[in-house]
This record gives sequence, C-alpha cells and structure tokens, in this order.
Amino acid sequence: MAAPLELSCWGGGWGLPSVHSESLVVMAYAKFSGAPLKVNVIDKTWRGSRGDVPILTTEDNIVSQPAKILNFLRKQKYNADYELSAKQGADTLAYIALIEEKLLPAVLHTFWVESDNYFSVTKPWFASRIPFPLSLILPGRISKGALNRILLTRGEPPLYHLREVEAQIYRDAKECLNLLSNRLGTSQFFFGDTPSTLDAYVFGFLAPLYKVRFPKVQLQEHLKQLSNLCRFCDDILNSYFRLSLGVDHFLLKVNHRYLLSPC
Amino acid sequence: MSLVAEAFVSQIAAAEPWPENATLYQQLKGEQILVSDNAASLAVQAFLQMCNLPIKVVCRANAEYMSPSGKVPFIHVGNQVVSELGPIVQFVKAKGHSLSDGLDEVQKAEMKAYMELVNNMLLTAELYLQWCDEATVGEITHARYGSPYPWPLNHILAYQKQWEVKRKMKAIGWGNKTLDQVLEDVDQCCQALSQRLGTQPYFFNKQPTELDALVFGHLYTILTTQLTNDELSEKVKNYSNLLAFCRRIEQHYFEDRGKGSSSIKSS
Repeated sequence: MAAPLELSCWGGGWGLPSVHSESLVVMAYAKFSGAPLKVNVIDKTWRGSRGDVPILTTEDNIVSQPAKILNFLRKQKYNADYELSAKQGADTLAYIALIEEKLLPAVLHTFWVESDNYFSVTKPWFASRIPFPLSLILPGRISKGALNRILLTRGEPPLYHLREVEAQIYRDAKECLNLLSNRLGTSQFFFGDTPSTLDAYVFGFLAPLYKVRFPKVQLQEHLKQLSNLCRFCDDILNSYFRLSLGVDHFLLKVNHRYLLSPC
Repeated sequence: MSLVAEAFVSQIAAAEPWPENATLYQQLKGEQILVSDNAASLAVQAFLQMCNLPIKVVCRANAEYMSPSGKVPFIHVGNQVVSELGPIVQFVKAKGHSLSDGLDEVQKAEMKAYMELVNNMLLTAELYLQWCDEATVGEITHARYGSPYPWPLNHILAYQKQWEVKRKMKAIGWGNKTLDQVLEDVDQCCQALSQRLGTQPYFFNKQPTELDALVFGHLYTILTTQLTNDELSEKVKNYSNLLAFCRRIEQHYFEDRGKGSSSIKSS
C-alpha cells in the first residue's frame, strides 16, 4: 500500500499544475482522494516516455489513460467517491460521457486545431518541453490526431466543410458548459461538500480552457460568463493546489518587479 | 446546419401539423439491418409512439444512402426529411409535441448526460461487436450488410464500412480494446442505467422521455438479437429492473397498438 506512486505528466503554466486536461484530471483526483503521488513533469531530457501521458508507475504496474489510472487508485483504497450513493455514481458516468462527447472536441479544437492558438501558444509550449528532434514531430502528430478525431466523430454529412463542423462542435460545447453550470448551481462541488471523480473530470477539462491565454477565445469567453464554473475552478486551485500556485505566483512577482524597475 | 438554416427549418416545421402519412425508413428488417441500426430505429419508433404520433415503417435496402446524414432511421414528414433521434426530437418539438417539457433544468441536463452515456458506451460497444470482432463480422455482419447487392458489390461495401468503423474506433481510443474490456464497459453502463432507474417505472418517474425511448431501443435490440455469443445480452439480463423496463414499454407502446414485437433473428 505504501508503494511509491509516480505520475509522469505534462507540466503547468498560467497558474495551473498542468495544462494537459487528462494529466490534470489525474492530479486533481489524487489530491481529492489523498493519494500520495510523486509528480514527474515531462521535460527536455530523454527520461521517460511522452506518448500516452499521463502514466502512473508503481513497482509492478504501469497504467495509462485517466479512467484506468483512477480505477487503479480506487483499488488501492484511494477512493474519492466513497460517500456517493449508487445514483450519484451513475450520474458521474453519465456526465463524464457528456463531457467527452460534447466538450472534448471543442477543447481539442481550441488547443490543437485552431491555427492561431496552435502556432502561437500550444506548439511552442509543448515543443519547449520535448527534446530535439522529437519536438519537431510530436506536436504535429498530436495536432493531426486531434483533427482526425474531430472529423471522424463529428464530420459526417451534411457537415462537409471543416468550418461547419467547427460551428457545430462549439455550439455543442457551449451547451455542455451551460448544462454543467445548471447542474452545479450554487453548490461547492457537484455532489455535496466533498469533491469526487466528476469534480476531477470537470476541473481537468475546464481549468486549462479557463486559464490558458489564447488569441482565439470564443469558448473561453463563454466559460467566463458562467461564474459558478469559474468559481469552482478557482476554489479547487486555491484549496488543493495552493503550494505550487504560490511558487509560480512568487516567481511571477519577482520577474514583474525586475522588469519594471528602471536600470 | 448553420443557426439560420436551423431556425428556418424549425419555422417550416412549426407551420404544419403532423400528417397522417409520415413514414420512417430503415433497412430491410429480416435480412439486412444490423444491431446498431435496429436499435436506433426502434428508439425513434418508441419515441414517436410515446408522443402519440402515427408513423408507418417502410423498409428499403438503400435507406442508409437515402438518409440526409447517412444514418438510419430517418423520417419523411410532409416535405421534410429528418434523420437520427436528436434532430427528430427537435423537429417534433418544433411541431409542438415534447416529452421533456415537464423537466426542470437540472433534470434536462441529467437526461442529456444519460443519453450521451448510452451513445458513448452502448452504441459504440454494438458497433465494436458488429465490425471489429472477427467472429461476428465473418458470420453475421458481412453477410447481412451486403445481402441486397450482387457480387462483388456486397463484399466491397461491407469491407468499406468495416474500414470506416475501425478508423473511428481507433480515433476514439477503442481500437486497442479487447472484447472483454468492451463487455465490461457495457456492464458498467447497464449498472449505471439500472441504478438510475431504481424502482421507478421510467427514468423520470411517471412519464417517459426520449431517454426512455433510447434506452429501450438499445436494450431491447440487444436482448432479442441472436449473435455469435450471448455475452452482450447476458450482461443486460443481469439487471432485472432493466428487463422489466423493456417489457413495460413493449407492452404499453407496441403490443397494445396492435403492432407485433420487432425482434429480429439472424441465422
């Protein structure tokens, strides 16, 4: 039970512990369930793999994909859903399916397909954390994979042009955000006062959308209008990720002062 | 469709009442239709029965190609053609009939979430079983899918469809799943549906909604179709309240109206 659990995932920025949705889901769940996770951020060295991130390594196992990692943590008795009723557990599965079907295509599009965003923000960020020459190949591959997924799952007739597909997926994503906002209402978390798996998933998908600074921001603007979802993300960041946030904030302040002081 | 086009279609839809000669098109019931398409068609039929709207079912070998979105079933109402459950629900709502008006915002969100769960897990599992499991593909799917067409068209179309479905599975991450993992996902989905349904007659207590129609379509088709292995229907049979739910809808909406049960058996 005390086997060291190591998670390798993409690093953070803009106030987040990670900018990769799936990595963030796992990190949030670990915090909620109290799992002692050692986070290895992927950097420019050749150590570790970059393919299927996030990856959880223990002494005997290697587990990839958020759903499987969460299952594994639950089997190790780190269960954030302990207090949920059967119906709430069922609701969790349903809402996760909703997020994956309706919100994920638009998030993928905002990060990886929209050219302004991809070339000015996403690609430089990821390329700076991947060793050369992989940094020339991997971001492009991820981008193509994202476009492929969007077109294969949503690009069916009568939507023949990518622009029409884009319009449809953003519309679905906005509707999904509205539905999540309605469901959350004024509560602190989705099921009562303690966070659970669903909170981890919602936080994982919403927080990067909320915090990362993009040139093309239509979905972000919509999210910012849903104040309870923004409050939800900020609450989790402040309560569970404050230490790492504090360090980032401190460094930012130091840099800021250094830049402003006349020399 | 762009927002303007959608609004335009809704306007036209709202203008006329539901005609008597509305038809629903699907593939040939006995020889051609597959589990996933039959489930979708049954869901639409159940939904229209629940709204009390008359519909005639017509079977055509090329229904998939006639449909505006390439998916069956589609309905031909007046001079409009609408395919798939989602747009059909919108269309029917524009004509003034709706099953989910009585729900509040939170319940509507739940309903949409559960419908996505069924689409995400059950429908994808059905597609996986039909097109990616070699035993089923060889014995049932290839033969059925190409049955109305002469050689070599039947083989070509079947292989083309299989390639398309496999590509999609790979894109969403199901490409590497084994059959056991897929069956486990189905079990999880059925467990969630069973827990949500509990002891109520329908998912949102007394009145059926489009979610009930969708769940009925899929579960009934899974239960009544004979595939190479029975594991899929065994998973559903584990949950007695789901079985009772299917029986109840079948009795209320299909047998009472004089229609036979739409079970299909494949040899």
